[in-house]
Amino acid sequence: MILRTIRVQGWRCFADAVQVGPFGDGLNVLHAPNATGKSTLFEALLRGLLDGHRVTGRDVEALRPWGRVLAPTVTVEFAHDGADYRLTKRFLDRPTAELERRERGRFARLAEGDAADDRVRQLLTHNPPGRGLARPENRGLAQVLWVPQGELALPGLSGDVVARIRESLGAQVSGPGSGPLEEAIEDVYLAIYTPGGQLRRGKDAPPLVRLRDRLTQTRTARTHARAQYEVFEQASRKVEDLRARRAQARRNEEEITRTLAEARRQAESFKALLSEKRAREEQVKAADATHRALKQQIGHIKAARDELGVIGETLQRALAETPQLAREVSEREVAAAKSQSALEDARRGRDGIEKARREAEDARRYVESSEKAKAAGELLSRISEAAAALDRSRKARIELLAPDDKTMRAIRRAAKARDDAQVRLDAALITLEIVPEEQGAVEVVVGEDTGRRTLVPGRPTIVKGTPEVVVNLPGVARLRARGPAASADEIRQERDAAARRVEELTRGFGTSDPDALESLREKARDLDKRVAEATAQIETLLSGRSFGEVETELTRVMADVEEILKHRPLWRKALPDAVALRASAEGIERSFITVVEKAEVEWQSAQAALAAARGRLAAIEVQVTEGNRRTEALRARLDDLASDGKKDDQREADLRRAAMAWEAATAGLDDIATRVNAFGGDPSEAAATLERQLEAVRNEATRALEEEKSEEGRLQHLSAAGPYSALVSAEEEVARLEDEIAREELGANAIRLLHDTVAQCRSEALAAVAGPVEAAATRYFHRIAGGGLGRVQIGQAFEPEGVRPGIADSSVAIQDLSGGEKEQIHLATRLALADVLAKDERQLVVLDDVLTATDAGRLARVLPVLAEAAERLQVLVLTCHPERYRGLEGARFFDLEAILRDSATRS
Amino acid sequence: MPAACDPYETLASVVQAGEARSSNPRTRPRNLGRCRIQRLRADPQQEDPVKFLHTADWQIGMRVAHAGEAAARVREERLAAARRVVGEARAAGAEFILLAGDTFEDNGVDRVLVQRVADILAEFAGPVYVIPGNHDPLVPGSVWEHPAWRQGAGAPEGGGDARPAGVQLLTEEKPVPLQGGVLFPCPIRTKHSGKDPTAWIPPREGNVREENGIRIGLAHGTVEGVHQEEPDYPIPRNAALRAGLDYLALGHWHSTTTYTSPDGAIRAAYSGTHETTRFGERDSGNALIVEIAGAGATPVITPVRTGRLAWIVFEAELREPGDLPRLRARIEALGDAAATLLEVRATGLLAAADQDELARIEEIIASRFLHGRVDVSQLRPFPGDESWTAGLPVGVVRDAAERLRQLADPAYEGVRPEGASFEVASRALRELYALSAAAGAGEARR
Repeated sequence: MILRTIRVQGWRCFADAVQVGPFGDGLNVLHAPNATGKSTLFEALLRGLLDGHRVTGRDVEALRPWGRVLAPTVTVEFAHDGADYRLTKRFLDRPTAELERRERGRFARLAEGDAADDRVRQLLTHNPPGRGLARPENRGLAQVLWVPQGELALPGLSGDVVARIRESLGAQVSGPGSGPLEEAIEDVYLAIYTPGGQLRRGKDAPPLVRLRDRLTQTRTARTHARAQYEVFEQASRKVEDLRARRAQARRNEEEITRTLAEARRQAESFKALLSEKRAREEQVKAADATHRALKQQIGHIKAARDELGVIGETLQRALAETPQLAREVSEREVAAAKSQSALEDARRGRDGIEKARREAEDARRYVESSEKAKAAGELLSRISEAAAALDRSRKARIELLAPDDKTMRAIRRAAKARDDAQVRLDAALITLEIVPEEQGAVEVVVGEDTGRRTLVPGRPTIVKGTPEVVVNLPGVARLRARGPAASADEIRQERDAAARRVEELTRGFGTSDPDALESLREKARDLDKRVAEATAQIETLLSGRSFGEVETELTRVMADVEEILKHRPLWRKALPDAVALRASAEGIERSFITVVEKAEVEWQSAQAALAAARGRLAAIEVQVTEGNRRTEALRARLDDLASDGKKDDQREADLRRAAMAWEAATAGLDDIATRVNAFGGDPSEAAATLERQLEAVRNEATRALEEEKSEEGRLQHLSAAGPYSALVSAEEEVARLEDEIAREELGANAIRLLHDTVAQCRSEALAAVAGPVEAAATRYFHRIAGGGLGRVQIGQAFEPEGVRPGIADSSVAIQDLSGGEKEQIHLATRLALADVLAKDERQLVVLDDVLTATDAGRLARVLPVLAEAAERLQVLVLTCHPERYRGLEGARFFDLEAILRDSATRS
Repeated sequence: MPAACDPYETLASVVQAGEARSSNPRTRPRNLGRCRIQRLRADPQQEDPVKFLHTADWQIGMRVAHAGEAAARVREERLAAARRVVGEARAAGAEFILLAGDTFEDNGVDRVLVQRVADILAEFAGPVYVIPGNHDPLVPGSVWEHPAWRQGAGAPEGGGDARPAGVQLLTEEKPVPLQGGVLFPCPIRTKHSGKDPTAWIPPREGNVREENGIRIGLAHGTVEGVHQEEPDYPIPRNAALRAGLDYLALGHWHSTTTYTSPDGAIRAAYSGTHETTRFGERDSGNALIVEIAGAGATPVITPVRTGRLAWIVFEAELREPGDLPRLRARIEALGDAAATLLEVRATGLLAAADQDELARIEEIIASRFLHGRVDVSQLRPFPGDESWTAGLPVGVVRDAAERLRQLADPAYEGVRPEGASFEVASRALRELYALSAAAGAGEARR
């Protein structure tokens, strides 16, 4: 469709009629300042072509000029498919629509009213609006080609436009009627899912969501019901257990009760037996006491009688023995006196022993002291000798003057330095050796030792000097010898200094010869050694003592010797034999002891015999006395024991009877004891234990009963709630919901599959045709912005989605590009789509103040693109910046402000 | 065929023994063999025949899985069926009722249900002998501790009637005197046991003729022959013979089943549950009227229908367009839909044109039946059915329909998107069909 003119009247700011055009087939620029009415004209174009003339409503009312009651009217002249048309629509007041076609040079009415509306819409869209205003999706091709102000961004296109584009590109996406069906599919899909594919939530949620929510709640209720049911069953089992426990306790109680009764009976029997046993024990004790008493009485009587007999016999023997024993005592007293005398004689030999002992001791001391005195004398002699040797050595050492080691080392160093200097001096001197063949003389003119010297044939004569040596050999020659100049004087000074040092060090030693000095040194060392050895010998001999102490010891020993010699003068001449004297003393002592011991034995024997005789005599006397006393006592006791007046046979008979009674009592006691022992212990203890057990069992039974009653109450409460019925109800509801959800899920999944399959088919179909559009859009975009951003990518509805830079692995969404790049991509895409749509017929492209974010540089590159597009399209640019488009060649400019002025002037 | 079986008096249908039981389905008996429930004439020489009603496994308060909102109604129907049991006993002139365990589904059922059951049983004028079963064993907190069971509920006021009246809860293995015989109850005290509950019943002393009284056992367990991983209250197949019982009234299995003794008489039987408990449970919903002329006489067993609910499964394989209308006709032909739980399992191929029919069936089931469910998950589009896809707009929608058609084929070997099972794809196709139809209708309206 090509726009020729547009005329509006009573339309917003255009109260009066104004007409713009005729527009050229190529590039047209309609310019005017803001608020002049450019966009209003565009709006009038859209409404005139797309809205039904009978539309009403607030939006349409707003078309009237402010404060005026005018019917908005628009007239559009356009060309389509080789024919020229004129459409006139009047809105609101007596709305009309009239379509005319130029026929034979003038417009002829073609359609009017709704028919006119429909005919025009068919030119632009397959998706016309109903009775209301046209929405963007009803604009058909205008969605791509006509760009309102601020709406350069290309939205997803409606199905019919997409189909038109694809049809233009030679691919069939959707035929007629596909749009409503696709919409229906989309509607049912969106009734269940969000555009993102999630189930809808909230008030618009599908039944499936509500069912699932309800299922979740019901499952929770079921879990609760199941738990309650399990609690019920557990309570039942617990009551069962408690009943079993109580029954067991009851059985235990019965058993223990039976056992306890038996134990009590046993205890009673045991107690009776114990009582009887104690009685029997008393009987046995009594019988035993009786028997014992009788037996004792009889025994005592017999014993007293027997004792009287024995005592009588003893008294008779004692009285018979008394005279003889008196005689024996007298004889023993005589013998004892004799042995006493012999013993005293023997003891008097003790003085001889002491004398011999003293002599032997003196001899030992004398010999020992004599030996000590001799040794001390010898020691003092050797000490004296050693002291003399020490004195000699010390004296010799004092007299010997010899250097010490340190001095010796200094001397050697100095001598070495002197000798070294002498060697170097000799080397520094010029040496002239003369070996004469004949006797003669030589005069040393210059040299170390000047003067005349005698020459002896064959004997070399050496002349030294420095720096030269000059000699005269009279009659022969004057010889001058020179050598290299050297510091002989310095060396000589060194040598002399060293020599002086040697002299200083050796002064007093009598020689400066180091070897002689070393000999002196050795000699001094030898003397020092001797002094040390003598000193050590003396110290060894003294053994830590002083010499005075040794002398004092000698004096003391000598005094002992002299003291002994005062009593033993003979020993001065000859030393006594201390050993023999000691043996003699010991022999004397042994003899003395033997004699004394023998006398003592004899004395003791005599004394013992005397004492024994006296003892026997005294014993006999005591025996007699005691026998008499005892006889009297026994007779009194016998009288007492026999005081019962019975005879012995009577007492024996009593004793036999008592023994029989005791035996009978003992037998009875044994029998009872056997019966008591048969119990193995006191049954009353077992009974007490059983009573405690019984009490414990009863307590256990009581507790079990209480717990059972409590649990029964709880169980009754639980069962009253009908837990199974509640569970059944919940499970049935869950099952019902699950069935319903399964059905709903099947339906929802089917809708999703239907939707996705349609989308997939559309996507695949579009993928086949999107390529050329993408390629064209990319070319346009590269011409405007360069190739840095790569290929333009478009979506299923041909909307730009982004770019894919060559250096990137992934696409960049269009939202992430700059504002200028966005609008340039949209423009490039629209132009690419316009190319497709205008393949068969030139189409009108309207750009209302677009590219506001594009800089001047890129805008300059847009203009040639527009100019080129204008070769295939009619381009109408609405702008308030006409200067930007002045560079467009062949563009037709329309100054709306001027047009308005002209219209006003004309009116 | 045993000599006692008189083909002229056969009245009960052939039953498959042991089809369903209230516990683990894995332990259900498999093919216990076929037998016939027969009405036999009582021995005319015997006097004072005993007539009673045998029922079991009421499972009051049971869970009803996958019945949706009809579960409460199903539970209520079990009480109504209990009333019918009592009514049948009254109508048949039964002297007493034997209730062979599992009266309640669990000991934790709502106590109101306990009272209601006690009230129902009390409506019977004669004694009702009840034993606990493995679902309601005699344990602390059990339903049997409810006050409703005390003092013989339902006994006439003043105790004027000399015979035992009201509900007799039998909790001990002790013979109970009956008019003309003895009852040997075998109450259950735990949920699981490997012991024979009838083992305690003493054998008959002397020969039958010398002992006038009839001997009846009342037990709950599994008659030998049912394959089970673990013994579940096993009862020997010859338990009645061994114990010298004239009749052994059994509970535990929900299908009506009888066992023939070597003498050709039926002396042991499961009455089955009085009201069917689930889909697939056969020969349930009965009680047995038993008449025994005297000791050693052949029991005359008459099944009576006590259940009302029908649990019906239609497995319809759709092979061609038009099958669905026929299925709908079958469904509509079912009587008493309000008491029917219906499950339709549709498999096979679904033509696009039949989708409306399918929706119609779903509407009918939802509106008329007590509970219904149509499982179409195994349906797939009719191959080559392009009647409606050809009408879709050219382009992506038609492409998508074709792709969904491929995914709806269970044999499709291509890569399936995540979650795109053939069931989901079939449903997606149905949704697309509905949307396109609505769009077409909208277009037509415009």
